[in-house]
Amino acid sequence: MALKRYTKSIDSTIPLPALLYTDERLFSSQNGVGIYDGQQKSASHQSGTVHVSSHRLFFTDTRDNSFALDLSYVVQTVYYAGLFTSSSKVTLHLASKTLPGTPEPEVWVCHVCGNRNPPGTSPAASRICTLCGVRRESPSTPSTPVPAASDAVACPACTFRNNPSKTTCEICTAELPVPLAPEISLMKLSFRKGGDKAFYSKLKSCLKTKAWEVRLLTVDDPLPSGSGISTWTLYFDMGADDRLKFITDGILQSVATSNQGVETNMKDALQDLEALMLKAKDMVRLAADLNERLTTSTAANPASEPEEATFIRSSLSQLGLQMDNVPVTLDMMQDEREWINQLAKELARVLQTIMKDRGIIALDEVWGGWNRARGVALIPPTTFLQVLPHLPVYTTPTIQKRQLHSGLTVLHTPPYSHAAFSARLVGFLSLNGPQTAVEIAQEEEITVGLAEGMIGAVEADGQVCRDDEACALNGSTVGIVRWWPWTEFDRYNYDGQL
Amino acid sequence: MAFTTHTTPSGFLLPSIHSAPPFFSQQPNKTTLASFTDHWIKLILAYARHRRLFYLHVEDAETSGNDWDEVLKNERINRHVLPVYLEHIMGVMVEKNLAAFEPARQTRSVMLYWRLPEEWAETLHEWATSTGHLNTIMTFYDVTDPPIESPLSSIPVALLRKAIGILTKTNRAQLIAAADGEGVRFFSK
Repeated sequence: MALKRYTKSIDSTIPLPALLYTDERLFSSQNGVGIYDGQQKSASHQSGTVHVSSHRLFFTDTRDNSFALDLSYVVQTVYYAGLFTSSSKVTLHLASKTLPGTPEPEVWVCHVCGNRNPPGTSPAASRICTLCGVRRESPSTPSTPVPAASDAVACPACTFRNNPSKTTCEICTAELPVPLAPEISLMKLSFRKGGDKAFYSKLKSCLKTKAWEVRLLTVDDPLPSGSGISTWTLYFDMGADDRLKFITDGILQSVATSNQGVETNMKDALQDLEALMLKAKDMVRLAADLNERLTTSTAANPASEPEEATFIRSSLSQLGLQMDNVPVTLDMMQDEREWINQLAKELARVLQTIMKDRGIIALDEVWGGWNRARGVALIPPTTFLQVLPHLPVYTTPTIQKRQLHSGLTVLHTPPYSHAAFSARLVGFLSLNGPQTAVEIAQEEEITVGLAEGMIGAVEADGQVCRDDEACALNGSTVGIVRWWPWTEFDRYNYDGQL
Repeated sequence: MAFTTHTTPSGFLLPSIHSAPPFFSQQPNKTTLASFTDHWIKLILAYARHRRLFYLHVEDAETSGNDWDEVLKNERINRHVLPVYLEHIMGVMVEKNLAAFEPARQTRSVMLYWRLPEEWAETLHEWATSTGHLNTIMTFYDVTDPPIESPLSSIPVALLRKAIGILTKTNRAQLIAAADGEGVRFFSK
């Protein structure tokens, strides 16, 4: 009965340290302990472990049988050393008075310093702000008296809740279980495996300390209130004004410290950035210098730019370090038309590098190369397509756009225009006999895909005809196409038997 | 590149273009395709006339060992006409009234007009006149399988009927329905 009344069940699967309040400390543990509820053995608590902490007594066994008892209920202890088969016991007399209701474990904000107090402190400690020590003001803990009905004794036969003074049920006259009078509430710990003396002395000292009641007021507080103790003692000696100053000083100091930290980090970062910029400036200057030198040397001997120079130039352009090639962006221009024109100019410069050795190039490669050269303010495909029609104006030899039959769009120099290419192709075929697209691509130094596309265009004109190897007698299905000049058959007259 | 004509074992003179590999490929370009197709039609009709072949099937390009091997294949240059291209050529022939789908409503076999039905009609009437068959009733079999070989020997009945139809229009022949087949009577005029 006492057990039920004063203890709170706990979950023994949680390790004990996790159950402790933040200001609670575990002092001693002893296994092999049985519990007497009043004078009777409590059947379900016969072999467990008891722990004593600064605030509570724990009994852990299985999940359902574990409980915690607030030491504040204990008014008296009696020690019995044991005799023959009787093990030594400690009797705890439990107080009849009920303590003020324990506050809900919740986060609350101090009305003086605004500190957010975390849950998990002991009931007594949670009534005081952990930062400034001011008592929690708002009566968030309901002060409503415990309803009298909670003392009522439920009839085992009809469940009617009878007044505790009754011995028989008012409704059905069944005999009521005799409630243990609060005055005689007691509980015994039976130490079946010894260790009683050490445990008892710890218990006594805990009870004597009364950690649950007094806090922060005694210097010899054994509780783990940490390094703050002396400060707090000082704090309580101060006057009200001094206290306020103390609090604001503390807050201001912490703000100042954090500000200083931020400033130091920022300074470091800025210094790094500055160093980086200096390096970048050097780099750009170097690039400009190189470019200039290359230009002058090329101007002196334009026919043959050394391979190394070409390499350096293309590398620089890939790094976006061409000095005369600062990316044009829309905000530099007054209107969009001017912007497009400037972009066309810029693209023309880029193409000088990209199309140095090539007369024809696929559009995707141009777009990628241009944006890589720009590095910043990348050009979207739509703008790119807008720029292309303006390109012939700014390029010598003119670079034009052309769409092949396959749908592939390319940029090309005049030698790769349709007319020039077909004339060249027919000449090549007439001279060298039928050729495959691969052979033609090799001859023209273009990719096979491009060659196929361009031959397709010539075929559409009827300038060449195909000999598909799929027509071979041995029935190979993979047709390699050989291209024949149509001139072979152009003026053919039927010369067979009619 | 110069190509030469070639005489086949059957004594047919193949045109020089038959030795050019592109001739066997179906050209995607309309102009070149039309040019090659024209030469193919000439070649096919000439060969049909040479061998008295009346029918051409797409299958002739798929299989070997048939009447058309000498034309649809050229082993000297390792090329042959693909069935798809042959079907296209046949389609063009029908368009130009140089052949007719036989049977009708399909495109995989044609009856070749190496002589037009009108020419056949004249040949038929001349033959009937010269052999003294005017005003007598003859069965189709009498015409297609005469005891003495004639220009009309082994002519397909479908073609024969077409030729008789043309003669009927000018009242030079009459189609007669008999109990076990059909007959024809020719008139002088």
